[in-house]
Amino acid sequence: MKHDIGCLSAIEAFYAYLDGELDDPELIADFEHHLAHCRSCFSRIEMEKTLNKRIRSSAKRESPEDLRDRVSKLMEKF
Amino acid sequence: MHINDLKAFFSTGVEQNIDALYSVALRLTRKNVDAEDLVAETVAKAWGAIDTLNDQDRFRPWLFRILHNVFVSDYRKMTIRPVEASFDQGDDSDDELASLLNEQSDDFLVWWSNPERAYFNDLLGDQLLDAIDNLPEAFRSVVVLVNVEGFTYDETAEVLGIAPGTVRSRMKRGRTLLQKSLWEQRPGSQENTSHET
Repeated sequence: MKHDIGCLSAIEAFYAYLDGELDDPELIADFEHHLAHCRSCFSRIEMEKTLNKRIRSSAKRESPEDLRDRVSKLMEKF
Repeated sequence: MHINDLKAFFSTGVEQNIDALYSVALRLTRKNVDAEDLVAETVAKAWGAIDTLNDQDRFRPWLFRILHNVFVSDYRKMTIRPVEASFDQGDDSDDELASLLNEQSDDFLVWWSNPERAYFNDLLGDQLLDAIDNLPEAFRSVVVLVNVEGFTYDETAEVLGIAPGTVRSRMKRGRTLLQKSLWEQRPGSQENTSHET
């Protein structure tokens, strides 16, 4: 039976997990095991994921055409 | 590399990153015109500094580091807020961060978990952008690079010229401040209504 790391350890790993910065497979497995058994942490991570997705979609911008033209002309002079 | 090949490599790299450059520049300057000028200035400076690109696989963080440097040297001077420099100095800020994170996150989670979560899901893009733009610059730049553009902590550290550990703590603090701002904007919050005593 897998050992549960507990909420305090999970909170420590929260953002590293969200940002893909956890590189220890055992730690990832322990964290995901905790999420599967802790409603509070599961809700929290879902909230963070949703917020991340909303931030990403709101802040991503296509560059204006006049900027692309300006940069192209600039680079032609190099 | 032959000069024409170098130019082609540079142009392709810029074209592949121009939307991301503009997105980051817009969040840094918070003005369309300034963001466009910042990107154009970055491209010009980057070509002038092409000799400093030691590893072509590192083109993206190298280019964004130049963007950040141009922003710091040419744009931030105009709107500098000196108090920001104290945010991640000293051990006290870590304690403060942990306290703020735990306290705020619990409140935010309780709120998010109840029926009012619909408000969170219905947040307009403009409300989110306002919350991002109101973050102190030290946190805004880290949140935008990691969360919006998908830079790793190490790449973000390289872009901003700070330690990876500082990126990690600024991400935590930046997210906490962002959630606090959204929490205070929610309908019916004390911060969002007039006070009567």
